[in-house]
Amino acid sequence: MKYRYQEEMSPPPVQRVTDVAITRFEHVFEVEPGLMTEHVTQQTFPNWDTLRLVRSRADHLAWMHRHFADKVISGEELLDDLDE
Amino acid sequence: MPDPEKRFAEEWRNAAYNCFSSGHKFCREVCPVMQVTRNESWSPTAFHANVVAMEKGELEVADVAADYVNCTGCGACELRCPNSLFTGDFYRFRTRTVDLVKAVRGLAVSQGVHQPGWQRWNLLTDERRHEPVLNGTPIEQERVRDWADGLDLPIGGETILFVDCEAAFYRTSVPRAVARILNLAGYKFGLMNEQWCCGGPAAEMGYEEQARRFAQHNLDDWRAAGVRRVLVLDPHDYITFTEDYPKYFGDAYDIEIVLVVELLAELIREGRLTPHVPVERTVTYHDPCRLSKRKGVWREPREILRAIPGVTFHDVDRVTQWSYCSGGGGGLPVEKPELTAKISEHRVGKAAELGVDTLVSACPWSERPLSEAGKARSIDVVDLHELLAESLGVAP
Amino acid sequence: MTVLLGDPVLEELRQILGTDHVLTGKADRLNRARVPAPFPVHRWAERMPDLVVLPASTEEVAEVLRLANSLRIPVVPRDGGTGLTDGAVPLRGGIVVDVKRINQIKEIDLDNRTCTAGTGINALKLNEVLARHGLIYPDDPASYPCSLVGGRIGTSGWSLIGSRYGHTRDLVLSFDHVLPTGRVIHVGDGIGRKITKSSSGYQLKHLFMGHQGTLGIATEATLKLFPKPEAEFSPFWAFEDYDTAYRAVGALARAGVATFAGAVLFDEWKVDYLRRDDEAYIPQPSSVKALVCAALYGYEDEVRAGGRRLLRIARSLGARYLGDEISEGDWAARHDRYATPLHGRTRSGQVVPMSWHCEDASINYTNLPAVRLAWHEIADRLRRESDVFDDWGMFAYTNGATGADYLTEIDIGIWEQRLDDAAWAAWVRAKRDLAAVALAHGGSISACHGSCREGEVDLVPAELGGGYDVMLDIKRAIDPNNIMNPGKYLLDQAYAEKS
Repeated sequence: MKYRYQEEMSPPPVQRVTDVAITRFEHVFEVEPGLMTEHVTQQTFPNWDTLRLVRSRADHLAWMHRHFADKVISGEELLDDLDE
Repeated sequence: MPDPEKRFAEEWRNAAYNCFSSGHKFCREVCPVMQVTRNESWSPTAFHANVVAMEKGELEVADVAADYVNCTGCGACELRCPNSLFTGDFYRFRTRTVDLVKAVRGLAVSQGVHQPGWQRWNLLTDERRHEPVLNGTPIEQERVRDWADGLDLPIGGETILFVDCEAAFYRTSVPRAVARILNLAGYKFGLMNEQWCCGGPAAEMGYEEQARRFAQHNLDDWRAAGVRRVLVLDPHDYITFTEDYPKYFGDAYDIEIVLVVELLAELIREGRLTPHVPVERTVTYHDPCRLSKRKGVWREPREILRAIPGVTFHDVDRVTQWSYCSGGGGGLPVEKPELTAKISEHRVGKAAELGVDTLVSACPWSERPLSEAGKARSIDVVDLHELLAESLGVAP
Repeated sequence: MTVLLGDPVLEELRQILGTDHVLTGKADRLNRARVPAPFPVHRWAERMPDLVVLPASTEEVAEVLRLANSLRIPVVPRDGGTGLTDGAVPLRGGIVVDVKRINQIKEIDLDNRTCTAGTGINALKLNEVLARHGLIYPDDPASYPCSLVGGRIGTSGWSLIGSRYGHTRDLVLSFDHVLPTGRVIHVGDGIGRKITKSSSGYQLKHLFMGHQGTLGIATEATLKLFPKPEAEFSPFWAFEDYDTAYRAVGALARAGVATFAGAVLFDEWKVDYLRRDDEAYIPQPSSVKALVCAALYGYEDEVRAGGRRLLRIARSLGARYLGDEISEGDWAARHDRYATPLHGRTRSGQVVPMSWHCEDASINYTNLPAVRLAWHEIADRLRRESDVFDDWGMFAYTNGATGADYLTEIDIGIWEQRLDDAAWAAWVRAKRDLAAVALAHGGSISACHGSCREGEVDLVPAELGGGYDVMLDIKRAIDPNNIMNPGKYLLDQAYAEKS
């Protein structure tokens, strides 16, 4: 909530996921930075901006569901029905 | 094409192709200007495509500078763009239409292409150190703290409250409410020694050198007084201090910026503030663009509203509100007041559909156009900080 | 014919529309020649109109067309400009008629379940209003948040949930249509505005849909509404090979579940592509080679029953359910599923911005595997030729509830910044080859976009046979001066024959 430049510019450490993807924030994938060195280079990305996009995406997807139907049925629940 | 334009096109070409090549145009129906004009030349995607055309030698900045007036800087377009919303964090490369619009406006000014209203506005700001928000009445530096008359606030200290031009000179009830609430909670803060405009509006209208000069003054003033923390009640200032100043000052920027609305929500959560005077209003909340779309701040204002007894709150979710705007940002009311009026009428119309008597905002710059539009529909436009002060029983 | 500034026609247009609604600036014109999947950007300036008009009513559109027809000025209608076959792109300059201002909702008829609106309206915006009445207009393209009703009519669009609700042709009941001569007619089933079935006279509604602006301009449409669904279910399943996934999608589509709104098959290339940057697929084990999803809409009890049936079928065919999080997240993203440019990769793996060229065809279920292999061979040839191209894999979407045929698409990335005449020529050749494969397998060149771009359009006469000659006769009869979107669908032939 409080903005401090140094904190915003220090993302969590990198963890490799695949040859082409890494993570810094939990459950948030990012491209392997080496793939963005020749033609398109990455922008300066403070932490708040990454988190804003991740949360906005989740909100947007939830909104889209509500836009098309009043509720979403869980497949996991239906599979449990089948097993019974 | 002049060299600065070539350099500009080179700098922005990847971003421009990222929009041009996708051509999604999901920005279009959320853009407040596009919604009321339906003119695709003023759509966010056109702002990017023009850069491709500039790179191809088809356009010069003088051809398009006037088109770039038609933007409130609300940020709906760049958030709704799949290149931000779906892949921006993944690639650390997102759509930056707001930055692009500012950059084109800056390029135009640097090439001697001015919009008359903006030129006058920034000249007056430069002369008086504050925006000319009083419609003809000159602004005076020595009156920048007049809003605080009788509140006995100290000057300086580790934490200061920064008050934007609109609130300091026009909507003075907002900073008064904020100051009284913080006093009530026992939160220590002072006022700035010699506050100038944050410089954000100059940057938005393309007057970059002026914006930097004002920023440098404010930072120097803070440093000289030993300020470590700046409280901000205006979302526009919050953007300036957390996006423009870091760009200007880089690693040397060590001031903590605190958004008042977040601070107040925390004080309520901690029990240091307890709204108790019922406020009998049926309200909806206007997500200020620079809080919700551009910063992702939408929860705390709702938390505060829900803490106020007596209020009947008809909430509209923040994703729906991505396409709402007051029209008050980005210098639009200075250059095209009729367009601002249409956008705020559109916004107030959405509130009217809910059958509310009050539209609550948390952005002083939105409140003037929204209040104008509200009159026609008998909808009061009230600032969230003021509403909270009323419920806390503090005097105006 | 070109219109020059200072031309008296400009003054006449300003009289009709008001000065503010006649645009002559270069940026105004460049931006009215823009579509997704751009024609070669290095030739952008060749596709510019001479001017742009922004009418606010059917009457204004009619006056513009009367004037244009009398002066033989080309006219290109523009709605959302989101089509993938360049229908809205002028080939001969002239006037772009941009209908975005014609977007008012005129009537919501709760008893007959219809809505009448200007064709400049967007379906998402319309549905925000309809939701207050518990209703929905279920026309759901990948451009759902930005395409406009008029463009859906002009392209005879395809809907993601069309297996349940029908496609644009089924959902648009009738519309006001301005003929190239400026005459206004109303077309529907018969003449009724809200009639869903008529046997009276020729069935003109279909004729005036999907013509890509070559037969006039739709200005106001009456649309069929449905109850907004109570429940949605959108399972995603993983498979260890394409063939199993193919068998599963067929079985799901043929199951006859009433709430079934569509199913999608993702092939191996598509899965590989998604592993580049899609949060749902990056962590999937390498054994995942193909995917299938389905969507059901309706009342909760119906959806639950249908959902259980589909889950049982999928499980019996070797599917692994991917879980609620992926199923829900991925499906919600499909309503606005235009590709994003940074998916693009050079052969060495570097990220580059590429435009999305989605080539589609209608293919019968039994021919999907063969078309898939032939299409990827064409994409592979392009990739070998140049780093400008990238194969982004294939989808096959059910066209209807019985599973007879599929919207089959291959997504090709093109690196616009490096595009030149040679690469463009290679691409046009590839498009022709893709269309030829579709025809060789008994399909149609397009399920969704239309087929009037360079390359594919060459094969339209072959696809339609004698029907294409009828098209020429109709074009000449309705547009005697060839003013409507001239150059599209090779329709100039209609006039060459006459002279």
